[in-house]
This record gives sequence, structure tokens and C-alpha cells, in this order.
Amino acid sequence: MQFPGTAKPPVGIVFDSAMDRIDDALALAMLHGFDGQDQARIAAVCVSNADLKAAQFCDAMARFYAGATTGQAAMFMHFMPIGLADGKPAAASAMFANLAYPNSVKSIDDTADPATLIRNELMAQNDQNAAVVLSGPATDLAKLLDMYGVKEWIARKVRLLCVTETGIRTDAAAADKVFAEWPTPIVKVGREIGEALLFPGDSIEKVFAWSTGYRPMPDDAPTWAMAAMLYAVHPDGGYFKLSDGKPASLIFDPEQKERILRTYIEIASAKPVQRKKDNKK
Amino acid sequence: MITKKSLPRRTFLRGMGTAVALPFLDAMVPALAATRAKPPVRMAFVYVPNGIIMDGWNPDYEGPLGELPRILKPLEPYRQDITLFGNLTHNTGRALLDGAGDHGRCCASYLTGVQPRKTVIDIKAGVSFDQIVANQVGKQTRFPSLELGMEDARQAGDCDSGYSCAYTNNLAWKSETQPLPPVLDPRALFERLFGNGLALTPEARARQNLYRRSILDFVTDTTRKLETSLGPTDRRKLDEYLSSIREIERQIEKAEKDNAQIDPHMEKPYGVPADFAEHFKLMTDMMTVAFQSDLTRVITFLVTHEGTSRPYREIDIPDGHHPLTHHRNQPDLIEKVTQINSYHLRQFAAWIAKVRSIREGDGSLLDNCMIVYGAGLSDGNRHLHEDLPTLIAGRGGSHFKSGRRIVYRKETPMCNLYLAMMDRMGVHVEHFGDSTGRLDALDLT
Repeated sequence: MQFPGTAKPPVGIVFDSAMDRIDDALALAMLHGFDGQDQARIAAVCVSNADLKAAQFCDAMARFYAGATTGQAAMFMHFMPIGLADGKPAAASAMFANLAYPNSVKSIDDTADPATLIRNELMAQNDQNAAVVLSGPATDLAKLLDMYGVKEWIARKVRLLCVTETGIRTDAAAADKVFAEWPTPIVKVGREIGEALLFPGDSIEKVFAWSTGYRPMPDDAPTWAMAAMLYAVHPDGGYFKLSDGKPASLIFDPEQKERILRTYIEIASAKPVQRKKDNKK
Repeated sequence: MITKKSLPRRTFLRGMGTAVALPFLDAMVPALAATRAKPPVRMAFVYVPNGIIMDGWNPDYEGPLGELPRILKPLEPYRQDITLFGNLTHNTGRALLDGAGDHGRCCASYLTGVQPRKTVIDIKAGVSFDQIVANQVGKQTRFPSLELGMEDARQAGDCDSGYSCAYTNNLAWKSETQPLPPVLDPRALFERLFGNGLALTPEARARQNLYRRSILDFVTDTTRKLETSLGPTDRRKLDEYLSSIREIERQIEKAEKDNAQIDPHMEKPYGVPADFAEHFKLMTDMMTVAFQSDLTRVITFLVTHEGTSRPYREIDIPDGHHPLTHHRNQPDLIEKVTQINSYHLRQFAAWIAKVRSIREGDGSLLDNCMIVYGAGLSDGNRHLHEDLPTLIAGRGGSHFKSGRRIVYRKETPMCNLYLAMMDRMGVHVEHFGDSTGRLDALDLT
């Protein structure tokens, strides 16, 4: 039930990524930045690699951006779990145990099945007020589509699926299934988009200077996932044009380059905002 | 002498207004049967409200059960008979845009697996999974299911932020609009279990009351006749069984006598004991008999209704249960809730001990049961619907490898457990509620 007259909150974003490129990490930082500025809300964060360290990283990001440092307030904060692909992930990294904020991911049991998590989180979204950003293989989304009765929920809740073409073909069967069965409009982010929009390496140093795992990053980074995230949050923001056809593809507009990069840097490096309330649904 | 004749499973001791079902006896197994008949599997749900103090519930380990945390401590002697589950979730108990009302939602969704409609008038949830089971296996028993409780509660009006009292005060739902209110009067339950289904004539009832005769008095002749055809083991089993029924009668009579002395104008049904532990024992004793004699294979037991503010003066806690659970992390309030949680577990453990003590087939009655103890909220302070406190006592017909804690992945639907339980009950369903599959790791293999 959605109570009439209640204003819709900002769009809820499901971010499913392999989390194996700096681009994915930057897109996650940007999502937290959007969330902190009430331009979007984090509906779910999933990792399509069976990599516990990636889940630890996502969990650490959530706590960092929520201002959940040590102390009683942090202990009683409620965080949604990170979705992590099935499999036998490598052992958790000790690095995350030494951070200034508690990390709750110690084993795969501390994470959720991505398809179940996404289904549950979509049920908590206002109608047509969610978007899914996929960077990497579509394995989780294909599994989601196989769940009983879930296509109706997706059609009802999701307005857009934005996928990066890089990485999606590592699970070709899943990609085919998603492109064939996903019940909402799909927008693709081509390889050329990310390569045309390079996130400056010196800004990466600033964005992740807080991380004890930070390593110097001299290279500029392509931004497929960031472009997908930006479009999913602000499809009408004029950052990109859309091609005809189904699915449509983002078209890079050189005139927007400076504006897009400025937005990337501003949002991804936004300061954490103290969480106002629990994120329980 | 060995004969091929055996006592029918559905044998009753009949007398005036009375029909006493028999427990599972050796004589019910054909002497020359190639394989021993397996006793039926039964399931029960014991639901406690307002969540649990999870620090006192969750052990800090997985696998074989060792020392149990404080709240579960009463179950330590029976830890080999229980399975503890971690991370089971009821997503449909969450707000999902419906705002406040977690108590109404968590109770209504607990066995139905659906999000109830937020209303006080045109209620709607779903058919609960116990009723799906009852519809199938209930044909083989006198009662498809029993719905029991211990706290009188209204069925209409607003009980939680716009949710009907029908949601907080019932566990079982016959249809999506028809909850099954629990029976809480031990006398009413007793007469239902051991009456012959026909109303006593006023004269017969008057005679029963006048002489305060036991129902067993009305079946003396048939009992004697039956005993002559039983072996010594069955005779002892029958004697113990009938004694337990007599003991239940005595407890009910005592409660009725006490109530009449305490307050003749009390609103409670006449036979409801004033003492929580006595009431719990009476109800669970009758549940034991109902399982033992295969009167039913499905029971739901709403200990107290969801969101209850019942005080626990029995353990020197005059504060309401629900207000206490919103403890705002104050240690003294957390301690009181922990004591209430422990008190409930002590009663439950005593029942499990009783069920475990009854021999059935090659094992105990408990071996053939799945008795779930749980709540629709984990953290009652924050109204959390994940990692719900859930345990199963019993082995579901030797299907479960009990004595361990199994932690599933976060967000694993509680309905996945229900699918696995339905399998053990012989009811095969592909989907239920928000299930995503069956719980694995439950089998012995």
C-alpha cells in the first residue's frame, strides 16, 4: 500500500557489480554521495563475484558514509546486508578488521543472496521509483528473474535498468536472459562512454585517502559504472543522450564532458553525512 | 500366540459423552508386518511476542550445540533434540511502505508469509502454512488442527497503528480473510479433545458436575476390556496415558475451584488458571495428549498475543511486556525482558521434557515432532524482522540432524523453512509466501 499524498522519496538504487574495478568502487562512492545529498537512496548493494573482500569493502563503505565510527551509536546502527554471489569466497581480509568503524562481514553467512536481497529491497520501494545499475555479469539479475512472481514486482517498482557492456558477457547466458526477459526499459553504457570519461587519478587519491588499503593511483580510470549510476539517478539531467532502439544506449556528448567529470568528482568525494535514522525498511 | 490382527490406530475408549483416543501402542502394529509402521510426524508452533533479547539467544558459534546462552539455558538438557536457526527473515513483516505496525504485521505474516493489508475492517492476509498442512494430513486425524493460546484478546478494533486486532491475536489463517482464534480455556479444550463431538444432555452434564466424575469413569468398562487384549508394555503405556489425562482433569478442577474463590466476577473463562506457568502446563499437557493419541498433527500456540503488555508478576515484573521491550538500550529494562524471555523458555523446556519422556515406536514422541519455538520479531526494541529467533525441538520423524546451530545467509526467507517442514509432513508445495527454495542442510544426509 502506498499512502496517497505522501511525496515519493528520491529514487532507490540497486547497484549490482563485480566490484573488481576502480570504476565500480567509484560508482559505489558516488551512490553513497547521492544518498547523502538526498538525490538517491541506496536500495541494495550486491557483488556478483564470490569475493568476500569485496563485500567487506562495500560494508565498510556503508559504515564510513553513515558516519558509523566506533561507540555505542555505531553499535546500534542497523545496516542492510551486502549481497554476495554464491560460491566459496576466499577468507575475509584482516585489513577490514582494523578500520576505525566496525565491519560486520566475516563469512558468507554475513552476506545475503543477491537475488533475494534485491527482491526484498524492491518490495520496499515506491512504484516506479527504483532503478537498477548493473556493472559486470548479469548472473544475479538472471537468478532474480527466475524467482517466483518477481517479474511483476520488477515491472511495478523499477523504472530503468542501466547496464554497462563491459563485463556483462562474462556470463553470456545470464546476459541473454536479462535482455530477453527484463520487464522494464534497459539502457546500455557502451565501452566508448567509459573510455571517453576518465576519472582523474589525482582525484582518486583524494576520494580514497581515508582508506588504510589505499594505494597510489596514478592512472585515470574509465567510468562505465559511474556513467550508468549518473544516468540511473538523473536520467533527465541532460548528461547523456539516448540512442533509438531497444535497448537504448547512452550517447556521449562532448559538450557535457566537463560537467559530467565535475559531477563525478563532487559526488564521489562528498563528505559522509551522519545517518539520520535506521535504514530498516 | 502370534496373530495377524492388530488394534486399529483409530481406537477410542467410548462412554457417556466421551471419546478418548488412544496413544500409539505396540498392539497397533500388525504382528507379522514386514516393516514396522512409522508413527506420524506432528508439528507445532509456539509463538512468543515482542521479540527476544538476541544477545541471550544466539550462541556465538555454529555447528554442534554446546553451552547455550542464558535465555536458552533451560533447553540445555535437551540440546541434542533441538536445532537452532540463524538469519531466517520475514520480509513481509517489514513495513514495505505501510508505515508503523510491526507487531500487527509480524504476527499476521508469521505463518502466512504474506504482508497483511493495513486495515481494521476488511482484513486480509493469506492461508497459513499450518492450515495447508492441516488440509492434507488433517483428514487422517480427528482434528485437522488445534489453535491454542493463553491470553484473552479481542478480535476486532485497532491493535497496532491501524492494524486490526485480528492480526496481532491469531497465528492460523483458514483463508486470507478468516483467522482461527485460539482456544485458551483448558476446560473448553479438554471437552473438545475428549468429548464425543455431541453436546451432553443437560442431565448428563448435571450428573458429571454433581459427582465431579472423571471422564475416565465413563470409559472404565471399555478400558478394562481393552487391557485384557494388551501386552504388559502396552498396559503400562495405557495406564500412564490415562493417568496423564486424569492429572489434566485435576489441574482444571483446581483452576476452576481457585478462580471461584478468587473472584467470581472475573472476565477470564472459568477454567483458566490465574498462574501463567500452570496455564502453560495445562495447555501443553493437552497438546502432548493430542499428539500422543494422534488426535491432531498440527497445533499452533500463541503464548500471548503480539504486542501484549501483560505484566509478569509471577517473576516480580509488574511492568508491561511490550513497553519493556522498547528498552532504549537501558540495561535494567533489558534485564527484565531477558527474564521474561527466560521464563517463557523454562515453561517450554518443561513441555519438551514431557514430550521427550513419552516412548513411541523405537524412540520418543519428540523424535516424531517438529515443535517450533519462535517470534515474529528479533529485536523488539527496533522491530527487526531478520535473524528471527527460531528453533525446532524434535527430529521430524528422524529427518533432522538435531543438536546443532545452522546459520543461513542473511535475508533467507522463513518460508524456506516452512517448505522444508511441509516436505517432512508429506505435503509437497513448490512455493509458499516469499520462499526462494527449501532450506538445505536439514536432512541427516
